[in-house]
Order: sequence, then C-alpha cells, then structure tokens
Amino acid sequence: MIDILSYSLMVIGIIFWFWGTLPLIGERSVLFKLHSLSVADTLGSMTIILGLLLKIPSEWSLLLLAIITLAIWNTVLGYVIAYCSIDEEIKNKKIN
Amino acid sequence: MDSILIAMILALLIPIYEAWQDDDIWQKMLAFASIATKTSIMMLVISVLRDDWSIGVVAVIILCVGNAGLMLLAHLIKRINET
Repeated sequence: MIDILSYSLMVIGIIFWFWGTLPLIGERSVLFKLHSLSVADTLGSMTIILGLLLKIPSEWSLLLLAIITLAIWNTVLGYVIAYCSIDEEIKNKKIN
Repeated sequence: MDSILIAMILALLIPIYEAWQDDDIWQKMLAFASIATKTSIMMLVISVLRDDWSIGVVAVIILCVGNAGLMLLAHLIKRINET
C-alpha cells in the first residue's frame, strides 16, 4: 500500500514537472514562464520528495531538510529572477 | 523506480533544449534554474535507490548553493545590463 502511494506521489510530481516545463519552449514572456515554472517545479519536487519519504522513512531528516530548502530557495530564486528581469521587459516595451 | 527516473530525465531534456535554442539571457536563466532543481531532485531519487546517503547530502547542498549562485548571477546580469 505504502509503495503504491509513494509511486503515485512521484508520478504526480513528474506530471507537475512536465506541466511546468512545457510552456518553457513557447514564445511567452519571461514572467509568464517563471510563474508556471516555479510553481510546478517547487510543488512537483516536493511531491516527489514526499514520495521518497514514504519509501524510506529512516532518512526522514535529510528529506525534510530537502523539502524546506526547496520551499525557501526555489521561491526566493523565482522572486529574484523576476525582480532582475523586470527592467529588461520595460525597456523592450518602450522600444516596441 | 527506473521508469520514474527515465521520465525525470525526459523532463530534464526540455529545459536543456530551451537553454540551447533561446537567445534571451533571462530565458536561459529560467532554463538553468529549472535544470538545477530537477538535477538535485534526480540525485535524491538515485540516493534513495542506491541507499547511499552521501549522494543525498550532495543533492541537498546543490539545492541550497545552486539556487544561491543563480541569484547572484541574476543580480550580476542586472547590473551589467544597467551600464
């Protein structure tokens, strides 16, 4: 039962990954891609790590650290890239 | 578990292709951020598969330091673009 649950969690995480990464190839703006990417990557990765946690509960401390690290650093990275790339967007709009 | 790993590798190919074909620096930064996160999660899966936790520790370190490095790079690019 636990194995089925952990595999289904991992498959859901991978579906999140694909859902977040596929618009990356399109021609949308940086901020649109960043939103879908950071949401999907963070949630998908957390779901995958939860699946791993169910599989091997003995190493829960390391996997919990990975979840917390992921939640903080991935979100802040998304914010920093959005903050830094916003000037570029405004300049492009002024030129067009 | 192997099929999950193969699906992850496929998911990793998309941002690599994006980083290769796009010229805008911020699109490349997005792709690299995505590659960093995906690679570290794949390392965690492999460390669970092999039950070898030194790989798992490296994966968590990549999660922290890799993203921090990308943040510094983003600020650097911003300053360069301003001048």
